[in-house]
Amino acid sequence: MEFKPTIVAFLCNWCSYTGADLAGTSRMKYKPNIRVIRVMCSGRVDPTFVYKSFREGADGVLICGCHPGDCHYQEGNYKCLRRFKLMKKYITQMGIEPERLHLEWISASEGKQFAELVDSMTERIKELGPSQVKQVAETLAI
Amino acid sequence: MEEPRIGVYICWCGTNIAKMVDVEQVTEQVSKLPHVVVSKNYKYMCSDPGQELIACDIQEHKLNRIVVAACSPRIHELTFRRALEKAGLNAYLFEMANIREQDSWVHDNREEATRKAIELVAASISRVKYHEPLDKRSVTINPATLVIGGGVAGMSAALEVANAGREVYLVEKSDRLGGLVNHLDLTYPYLYDAGSMLETLLRRTLNHPHIKVFCDTTVEKVDGFIGNFTTTILTENQQPVTLTFGNIIVSTGLKPFDASRVGEYGYGRLPDVLTSVEFEDMLRSGQILTRSGKPPQNIAIIHCVGSRNTEFHEYCSRTCCQVALKFANQIRTLLPDSNIFDLYADMRAFGKGCEELYTETSRKNITFMMFDQQKEMPQIIRSIDPADPHMLIFFREKISGLGLEVPADLIILMVGMEAHEDVKDVAHAVGISVCGNQFFIEKHPKLDPVATTTAGVYIVGNCQGPKGIPDAISQAKAAAARVLATINQGSVFVEVTTAQVNEAICCGCQTCILVCPYSAIHFDQNKRVSVVNEVLCKGCGTCGSTCPTGAIRSKHFTDQQILSQIAGLMEMTLKIN
Amino acid sequence: MNNRVNPNLPKELKEFGIRDWNDCYHCGTCTAICPLTAQGLLFPRKEIRLMQMGLKDQLSTCVEPWLCYYCGECSETCPRNANPGELMMSLRRYLTSIYDWTGLSKKFYTSKVWELAFIILFAILVVLAFLFVLPPLDTTLTAEGGVKVNSFAPIAIIEYFDWAMAFIVAGLLISNILRMYYRVVWMGTSKGVGILVHLREFWQLIFNFVVQPKFSKCDDKSYWLYHWLLMSGYTIMFILIVVFLPWFQTEKIHPAWHLQRSLGYYATIGLLIGLTAAIIGRWKKQQIKFQFSHVSDWLFLIMLTLTVITGILIHIFRVNGLPLATYICYIAHMAILVPMILIEVPFSKWSHLAYRPFAVYFARLQNSAMTQTN
Repeated sequence: MEFKPTIVAFLCNWCSYTGADLAGTSRMKYKPNIRVIRVMCSGRVDPTFVYKSFREGADGVLICGCHPGDCHYQEGNYKCLRRFKLMKKYITQMGIEPERLHLEWISASEGKQFAELVDSMTERIKELGPSQVKQVAETLAI
Repeated sequence: MEEPRIGVYICWCGTNIAKMVDVEQVTEQVSKLPHVVVSKNYKYMCSDPGQELIACDIQEHKLNRIVVAACSPRIHELTFRRALEKAGLNAYLFEMANIREQDSWVHDNREEATRKAIELVAASISRVKYHEPLDKRSVTINPATLVIGGGVAGMSAALEVANAGREVYLVEKSDRLGGLVNHLDLTYPYLYDAGSMLETLLRRTLNHPHIKVFCDTTVEKVDGFIGNFTTTILTENQQPVTLTFGNIIVSTGLKPFDASRVGEYGYGRLPDVLTSVEFEDMLRSGQILTRSGKPPQNIAIIHCVGSRNTEFHEYCSRTCCQVALKFANQIRTLLPDSNIFDLYADMRAFGKGCEELYTETSRKNITFMMFDQQKEMPQIIRSIDPADPHMLIFFREKISGLGLEVPADLIILMVGMEAHEDVKDVAHAVGISVCGNQFFIEKHPKLDPVATTTAGVYIVGNCQGPKGIPDAISQAKAAAARVLATINQGSVFVEVTTAQVNEAICCGCQTCILVCPYSAIHFDQNKRVSVVNEVLCKGCGTCGSTCPTGAIRSKHFTDQQILSQIAGLMEMTLKIN
Repeated sequence: MNNRVNPNLPKELKEFGIRDWNDCYHCGTCTAICPLTAQGLLFPRKEIRLMQMGLKDQLSTCVEPWLCYYCGECSETCPRNANPGELMMSLRRYLTSIYDWTGLSKKFYTSKVWELAFIILFAILVVLAFLFVLPPLDTTLTAEGGVKVNSFAPIAIIEYFDWAMAFIVAGLLISNILRMYYRVVWMGTSKGVGILVHLREFWQLIFNFVVQPKFSKCDDKSYWLYHWLLMSGYTIMFILIVVFLPWFQTEKIHPAWHLQRSLGYYATIGLLIGLTAAIIGRWKKQQIKFQFSHVSDWLFLIMLTLTVITGILIHIFRVNGLPLATYICYIAHMAILVPMILIEVPFSKWSHLAYRPFAVYFARLQNSAMTQTN
């Protein structure tokens, strides 16, 4: 059976979620593998949200925020960036391919970029194949 | 916690959702999930009967949580929250799943889109279980208003508010009011005199008892929130003045495009290549002359300079075509026997009276020609033949496909408009965002075009996007009406999705204090815990994701709610797989 | 070719009857609706564009105006009332003046004074020739009771004169057609076309001259019929008086079914039907094609009608043995016919009898040159 990855995406309300809405109002077409969860700011993306997604079986996690300097809350996206670097290291140590976690800046006007991002990320995750996290965790009962 | 009793409503949005998502299947699938009492679909959930449906079910089935799967929450979340309130349920016991903008409109596989909708609704159901009732907070409104930018839009907004007897602070960066209109001779399409119009506006603004004008002044930073903003400005004589106000109207405008960036046109190199702004000044002087002091015989107008070209600006500046038509009329009047050439990329004479202006102008023996703005821009060169006018324009005429040349003694470049260099400083000062073209972003491009996502801040005139004088003034007056409405109410309700510290588990590490961009958290030395000032907190949630102990809760975006959303989503995903 | 945009050309073109060329904003409705539009033929839009920008050289290589038969559908559907059909009509006048090397065509089209002066001058010359050069009037009848028309206008002299006129007219017309050829085929394709192609496509010329199939493609077929009757009547009459004059102009009165008389009757009736349709059309102005009549349009119709009427009168008087009336009508007939042929055929409206079929021929040559290059 064809592998249909599931990508959990955390989009900030002001830039990226609006950008994703714009892709819709512009009727752009992209791959149906993404599941968006809205947060007020990319700074709100708690590492536990990312780990929980992987633990529950997500094949990829995407975080999108405002471009540097454009954060609605001044600097939440910078906090997110720092946290992202740590999360990358952490998941690598946990045996998860670091490519499964991705951060991208999407502004409210970048519907096209968002659509392209979803397509390229889906392709990347398809190449990596299904994530083994949930299976391994259940085998180890953690 | 009471037992959740959830009502789920799937919207068809006419055919917008229903044609790509099998709403019946979604309704049926999610009805089997725990705590779901009612699961229904309806043609238009946002309509009155749609809202009525929710209200009835709340009464009948004793529902205490509602999920609506429809358009983006950015469009109708407030509508449904109000519907809940009317039915006696707290507005926050509600969650929306976006199955239109982020599902039916972006996919073309019905099976996949339906599956995605089921998963998104399941996630929302899982999240809404943990929603808690929240109270609204009322803030009083300071009746003064700050207007940033003193062009026609800014002055019109200021006058509108001031005429209602409210104080207005009008801050202008340059040394005089009037903005771009200062340069205009006549306005299109009815050829009124811009100078006398501006004069009236200026006199009223400067003499108004309720308007305080600060020229040569910029606004660096604004603190506070709707109803309670403060800023400190430096006046002309470097005196710091602190202003307090309840609303902000931003009308910083745009500036003309720098024509020297288009190499083909030789602006700056060739003496008789002018911008439309310079030509307006020439018209105001009453005489059209070349640099050598002679009236030109051959005059060429080139449209779309810096506009509608991906190398410069992709957008249309909206006013230049009509100004070019106005120029052609004025030249025909002043120089009846001259040859007038109009090179356009597309003639965009939209709007009231403008197509008529085009038709009328086209009967005045003006040679209209089309060029390709993307592939082949016209080239202006010096003519070597002394019998010729001293410039020649080479271009490929798009309709005939022929490579042609146009002789010219005077060339007018219709420059578009672009953002000021300091547009981002203004955006940061008042807490709004700019789009890819550096225009300020409105709250909703159709339904709320002058408000921004920051409550109490409005954008009017060119800074929101290029436009003509009537549109700019309409926006100014619309924003003034919005401001006056909040002032009249005296207070507004604001969201309370702020952070909250659970003092029992706060360890006093003070990390949250370091990350808060608004200095809204301080440390209580007695209790040795962090305390959130709810008035200053804007609810970004950064503290919540930093807190090592989980003591800080971002209301309405709690860890529990989001983790449950993830769990609900993945559970459904695996179930379908 | 000169590529310089010239806003003065449109002013010049106005003298040929072109009006409001700037109303057109190139939506292309005219090209879409035209029943004669074929692949590669973007008329009338292309010509309007060239006119708007004053590209004289490019315009003079256009063959398309001659391929338009002015059904008027483009003008009826034009959203801007730019009247493309009339623009094409005016362009045919302009092109006629471009092909003409003598410059007279332009004078006749743009100046009523010149045209009328020429007509009157030649009419007077004809009258004077009859009064002073030809033999004196003989009002007696022949032995059979016929009018002595051959002694009034001796066949030899008239025939000599006919042939001389035909040669002058044909010479002018052929030289102008060569100029048209140079522009359309040589300049228009920027290279020559092989001799074999010329021969292969030659039948197009004959076929289009005789049948005028393109005209019949317009939705209203009746005008094709009227025009064809007029054209065939005119051609038959022209051949009868130039080539077969000794057989046609006889003192003996043949019975009505005789070929001489029945051919004459057919030609006359054909001309009358065609003329009546055109005059009524131009008078009532119901069809868009008849709404804007140039001086040259009316002048042509009036002169041809007068020629036909005087021709009929000659016949009636001759058949009824009325010599003086016959002779007066003969002089009047010639005084109208001669200036009409001399002015209309090489320089004005009637030149289309040659330009139209040649245009189809040249368009085929152009087309084969283009397909070769591709």
